This record gives sequence, C-alpha cells and structure tokens, in this order.
Amino acid sequence: MNFAKFFELAKAKGIEESQLSFSKSNALSISLFRHEIENFSVNDSQSVIAAGVINGKFGSCRTEKLDKDTFPFLIDNILLAARLNEKEEVADIFPGSQKYHKKNVYNPKLAAVPANEKLALIQDIEKAIYAADKRVCDVEVGYSERESESGFYNSFGLKLKQKSNYFYIMAEVVMREGEATKTNYDMFLDSDLEAFDKDAFVKRVVEGAAKKFGADSIASKKYPTVIDRDVMADLIDYFLSSAIADEVQRHSSMLEGKLEQKIASSKLTIEEKPLTKNVFFSYFDGEGVATQNKVIVKNGVLKQYFYNRETAKKDNVESTGNGSWGGGKIGTSYGNIFVKPGKVSFDELIADIEDGVYITEVMGLGTGMNSTSGDFSCQAEGFRIVNGKVAEPLTLITLSGNLLKMLKDLKGFDSNAKMTLGSISIANARIKSMNIGGK
Amino acid sequence: MISKALALEVLNAALATGGDYAEIYVEETTPESFMLENGKVESVGSPQGYGCGLRILNGLRSVYGYTSDLSKKSLLALAEKLSASYEGERKITVEKIGNGRYKKHSFVETHLRDVPAEEKIDYLREISQIISGVDPRIVRVQTGLTCAVKNIDLFVAEGPEATHFHNIEERSRLFMIAIAAGAEGFETYFNGPGTTAGWEFFTKTLDYKKLAKETGEKAVMMLTAKECPSGRYTVVIKNGWGGVLFHEACGHPLEASSTSKGLSVFSDSIGKPIASPCVSAWDDGTIENEWGTSDIDSEGVPTQKNELIRDGICVGFMVDRFSARRMDGIKANGTSRRQSYRYCPTSRMSNTYIAAGKDDPEDIIKDTPLGIYVANFGGGSVNPTTGEFNFSASEAYIIRDGKICEPVKGCTLIGTGQEVLMQIDRVGNDLALGQGNCGAASGSVPVNVGQPTIRLKEITVGGRGGKLE
Repeated sequence: MNFAKFFELAKAKGIEESQLSFSKSNALSISLFRHEIENFSVNDSQSVIAAGVINGKFGSCRTEKLDKDTFPFLIDNILLAARLNEKEEVADIFPGSQKYHKKNVYNPKLAAVPANEKLALIQDIEKAIYAADKRVCDVEVGYSERESESGFYNSFGLKLKQKSNYFYIMAEVVMREGEATKTNYDMFLDSDLEAFDKDAFVKRVVEGAAKKFGADSIASKKYPTVIDRDVMADLIDYFLSSAIADEVQRHSSMLEGKLEQKIASSKLTIEEKPLTKNVFFSYFDGEGVATQNKVIVKNGVLKQYFYNRETAKKDNVESTGNGSWGGGKIGTSYGNIFVKPGKVSFDELIADIEDGVYITEVMGLGTGMNSTSGDFSCQAEGFRIVNGKVAEPLTLITLSGNLLKMLKDLKGFDSNAKMTLGSISIANARIKSMNIGGK
Repeated sequence: MISKALALEVLNAALATGGDYAEIYVEETTPESFMLENGKVESVGSPQGYGCGLRILNGLRSVYGYTSDLSKKSLLALAEKLSASYEGERKITVEKIGNGRYKKHSFVETHLRDVPAEEKIDYLREISQIISGVDPRIVRVQTGLTCAVKNIDLFVAEGPEATHFHNIEERSRLFMIAIAAGAEGFETYFNGPGTTAGWEFFTKTLDYKKLAKETGEKAVMMLTAKECPSGRYTVVIKNGWGGVLFHEACGHPLEASSTSKGLSVFSDSIGKPIASPCVSAWDDGTIENEWGTSDIDSEGVPTQKNELIRDGICVGFMVDRFSARRMDGIKANGTSRRQSYRYCPTSRMSNTYIAAGKDDPEDIIKDTPLGIYVANFGGGSVNPTTGEFNFSASEAYIIRDGKICEPVKGCTLIGTGQEVLMQIDRVGNDLALGQGNCGAASGSVPVNVGQPTIRLKEITVGGRGGKLE
C-alpha cells in the first residue's frame, strides 16, 4: 500500500500529526497425535494501526481489512476517538530518535527448509519419545514457525522496518502407570534449526513426566524453597509489570516510590536488553522511539521504571523506548529481559537444604496473583528436597507468599539460565523459605 | 464478503486431493470499545477484524489455514497450499451451494452502535462515580463497555451440495473495576456482566447502580480481610459465577476434543457415575440473549441444549464434527466454537451450569458449623488429562456456627474434577449464571458459567492464614 497517501488524507482532514504502523506475518504449524498429522496450518495476516493528533488529543484505529476504503476508515475513527478523548495531557506524535541500532535478525535458512523436513523432525521426536519409556501412552508434538515484517511511518517522514523469524517445537507427553496419569510439557525456541538438540529435548520431556509418579502432598508449613526457572520467569514477569510507569503513576504498583531503594536481595540484578541479537530483538518501539538496553534492578536496588512517551512526560524524563500498542491506546511493554544467573550448579544450589521443596510447576497464577499487592497463592507441583537431594514428587500443594518478600528472601540463582517464550532469561532460584500448603 | 461463486471455486480447490469435508469461515468484525479511567475517557477503540479461515478434513486428519486477504488469488492459493498436504484422488465435487437454516436465540432491541457515543460514555461515567463515591480508599476506578458485531459467512461442504450460513453475532459487555488502597495494600474487585441482547440490557435489565456500589464496597472490604486459612474444609460456593468451578473442573474434561482422544479423565465415563447423585448439569447454547449463546456453531450446526450429567451419571459430551469422527455413533451437537477466523474450531462450552436442586441456600449455610463461603472467584484453570484444577476466590468468608462471618483473602481451592463432583453434598434451588471469557485451543470465547449455591463436603483450601479455628 502507498502509505504516503494516508498522511496526505489525514492532513486534509485536519489531523496535524499522524503515524502508521504496518505488520504482516505468515506462519506454519504442524502437530502430530498418535503417529498422524493431526493439524497442519498455514496462515498469513496483515494489519495496520494508525494514530493521529488533533487539537492536542490522540486517537487511533486498527484494521485487518486492507482495501481502497482503509485510509478513510482509519481517519474517521481517529477523528472520533480524538474528539471523545478526555485525557488532560496534550498529546503529540513522536518525530523520530536521533539514532537507531538496526540489526538483521532474520534467518533466511529457516524459511528455506522445506515443510516436509520439519514434519520429519517432529516425527522423529515423537518416535523417540514413545521409545524412551514404556509408560508413554500419548504424545503430542508440534512445530510452529512464524515470519513477520513490520514497518513504522509518520507524518515527519520517519520510516523504520524490521523483519524477523523464529520457530518453536513443543511436546506434551502423557504417561500411565496403573491408575495414575502424569503429563509433562516442554518447548524449544530459536531461529536456527541447528541449535535444536533432539536427544536432550526428548530426555527432558520424558523424564519430567516419569518423575511425577508417586506424587503426594506434604505437611503445610514454611520450607526452604527452590523455584524452577520457568516458574521464576512467570513471577518475575509480575514484578516487572509493577515497574511499568503507568501503574506507578496510577498508584497501583507495589514499586511506587521505591526508585533507588533496596527492594530485593542483592542477588537480584535484572536488565532489559531489547538490542540483543536474538528472536526478540527490536530496535524501535510502538511509538517509533529507539529502544535501549538498561538496568532495571541492580544488586537488589530498583534503578528504572519502564516508560512510554506519555508516562515519561508526566515524570519529566525521556521515554525508555517501551511504548507499545494495546486496546486502542499506547501502553507499555518490555522484552528480552535478562536476570543475572549465579555461579553454582543446581546440585550446589540445593546442597545444604535438609528439608525443602523444589517447585517445578504452578497453575492458576493468573488469578492467584494480586498484581498490585504482590500477594499470591496458587496450585503447585514439584519435589521434596531431603538432605540436599531432590526426593519424592509432590502434587496438589499450594505455594503462597508475597512477591516482594520472596525477592527479599532470594538467596541466589544457579547458573542454568534459559530464555522463555515470554522473553525472560532466568535461572533456578533459591528462596530462604516459603509457605507451602498441603495436608 | 465473498461471493457464492468464489466460495464454490475455493471449496472445490480445497477438496481436490481427497478431502471429505471443507469449510470456509469468513468474518468481518467491527467492535467498539470505550474505556474510562476515574470517570474520564481514556480510549475509544474500533479495531476491525477481517479474514477467512479454511479447513479441510480427511478422515482423522485436519488442515487449517487463514488469511486476511480475501482476494480470489489469495483464497485459491490458500486452498492449494492446504490441500497439498493430502495426496489422494478427489472424492467430492461441489456443484451448488444451498442456504442453511437455523433458529435465532438472541434478539436485540437497540444496537449499541446506534446509541450515540456520548450516551454510552455518560453511562460509564455514572457507574464510575457510584464506585468512587463508596469510600475514599477507592483510588482507581476503571469502567468500560465493549460491543462486537461479528458478520459471519460460513460455507460447509460434505457432498455435492454445500451449505451457506449467514449469521450476525452481537455481544456486549460492561466492565467495572475498583481498586482500593490502604495501609494493608491494594485490593481489586471486578464485575463484568455481558449479553447478546442490546443496549436495553444495560439500561433496563441490569441493576447497574447496585452492581457498581457492590464493586466498590467489596474492594474496600477485602482490604481488611484476613489471610485465608489452609487445609481441608467444607466449602459453600455461592450461585452464579461460582459455576466457574464446574466449568474448569468438569466442563473442560467433558469436551470431545479431549474425551475423543482418551485424554480426559471422563473419556470412558458415559453411563457411569462421575458426580454425586444430587448433581445434574447442562451446556445450553440456546438460552435467549445470554452471553454464551449463539444461533449456530462455528461449523454451521445449530446450537442446542446438551445434557452432560443426569443425577450424577455422565450422559453426554460437547462434540464438534472433527472429534465426532473418533467417537462411534456420536454426532456433533452444536458446540464447535472459535474466537475468530484465526482459530480452527473445536468443542467448547457455551452456557454451562449445574441444574437447580431442592435446598434453600440459607439452609445450606445454616447446616455448616465451620467452613469457608466462597462468594466470588477470580478464575482458575485445569489440566484436562489429570483433572487437577485450581480456583482463586476474589471474595470469601469464614462460616461459623451456620453463619457467614469475617471475610478472608488469598483463598485458593484445589483438587481434581473427579473428586470435587463427588464431594458436592448439597445443591440449592437458586440457579444463576455469570459471564466470562474462556481461553483454550480455539481462542477466547464468551461463556456463561452457572450453578445454584452448592456445598462441597471437603476440599483442599490454600491460603496463608494457618489453620481454621
């Protein structure tokens, strides 16, 4: 589409400043169930989000319908939204940053691999999972790949473009032993197929399910607790969402007024590095602001909130390049989070725990977490730790506590950092003690 | 959106390699949303969705694809790409497309889009003021109204004559969120009534003033609530949204997408007792103007009232066309749903509830010497294979000597679907429904959950307040 035409039309309708972002993606996904291709899907989609400012009021609109009526539709809805907008702050459109750190993260080799080779790969994985343990009764294995292109344009002449791709492989295994059924899920994400280690993946997912047999509950009390990196990533995500300036300014963040204060154990250091060359790389945000790497928490001290242009203006600081679109307005988001790992192995991390709990999965955190106070309570499973070793499996227990208290009680991480699908790289964590509910 | 002639061409291209079923789902959705923050308009949105999903089945295989480019070239390319995954001879040539019939279950008097934006904003502002006025400790109020009108064209081919369905779904929902702050921290309370009726629901049917007041009051009350005890206790669950427990723990495992594959704890349960004899349950997509109601499902099958449990015995599942292929003698029953053209449809719940029993809800509480009363849930999740679930209460109280006493926070119920259904020992006569959005494989779909007041003899309660005394 000729986006220059949009800016002309917008100006003619009295929209002084405007911007437009375009995104296009295509995806492939294949999944197997009981040796058959259960799902095979190919998708492509496109959408445009446009925004403009009239009389200092902001309006925006999104559409997936791209035809000759698209620009007039967008403009009419921008005008309507701006007319009804009651925000007191005077809005404007960002002209552009001085410097952008563009990198090429697109891997052309991934798209060049034919679909039937990707199918063969997951067929191999399925076979290996069935062969790994006699108790495996069902396996679901899937391959998904996405390629996306985005562009950002504004009425000041700014033009930014980015192209990226990634794939992920997921497997869910169901095992039966007598009356007991256990499931386990694992996934691998990258943009380079050669980075995938099939044998290690199969071993991890199968052993994960096998270890759960014989699980029981445990007496309710406080235990020294080790939290698996995947669970820890979810918890840190809640913590980080409290560092969004908008939440702070609206008085609904547990981190309000805590800048430069010690809010966690000195073992906690968190950085946001959007310019890392990986599948989550991005060099401009939803407002066209250049992104930057930055420290959020250093040795337990809160150093930085996440800002978009509007919230930055309120605090009289610069945007940190964290603006993003959501629900018809500019919100705030983050990605490529790196939580500094420790130096010890997992065995060393738990070596001195006589009677503790290792949490490997939590369920219901979405509703069990009060994200303003940080209080949480959720269903969990994992293992007991007895005399420094992982012992019998635990099920139907609850993990509860307060997020900030938990981070203050953080004793450290092991060295096994992993990047999650939610773009948080984190290792397994040891907490002094947490409330475990059971029998 | 696409002509019958083009649909015919696409269906035939899709079936060229031996597919025995093809379906085109074309959708144009024009939603509008108004969000107010502390009584001021924060955003007005009108994101337009547009695209087409194409599915081809061949025995127990399924391929699905979508595109937001509805040109002939794009649709034929999609059909070709998808059909290339089968390597057989054509079994079906579609010669014509007839019109599908169905009964309407939702009736709109005044479409939300015909109500001036200012009037809707004033309504939200009034609600916001009621909530803020409850108590100075309410520091933040969010109110919102969303309405989505989905224009659907569905073409289904299983033989030489395909069927075309045209359907318009209009759904609207009101959101009110109160955040209270005190020395104890923050508490959030939410209410979100929804409907497939029109503006008249919000202005006439719904007592929005009462609901707004209650939203504010509950947020403030929870500020000083003590931590919920943990252990195994008798739990009484209030009618209405309390049905989310049944939805998660029993509804999901009764979806054919898991039962047909043997992946559900209830896979082989037809004719067997799965609940206590006082429990009967239904999934009914036809309840007039309800949030989870539709006229037809995503495969063109008319919605119906499906019996799931009768007096504790499992009698039915929610079945979509694809899952039905794995199930001998069982037909699709109008429960195949999807969020949008981006999702391949599968069996899902609509308005799912435990039927009313005989007990007076007051008696149920009176007969409980010590336990927990859960008045509202935040939500929950379940693993359909193992049946393990969890729910967190957003409003709960201690029951002492048959009376509802002090509020408690941080209450989580955990257990398995099999266990909880058997633990129900009292069922009230006060069936009510509550609205939510259910997320699963085919996306987020609007659902009603529902139940009368029920009592669970004993269930695991998670909380930070130690033992209940």
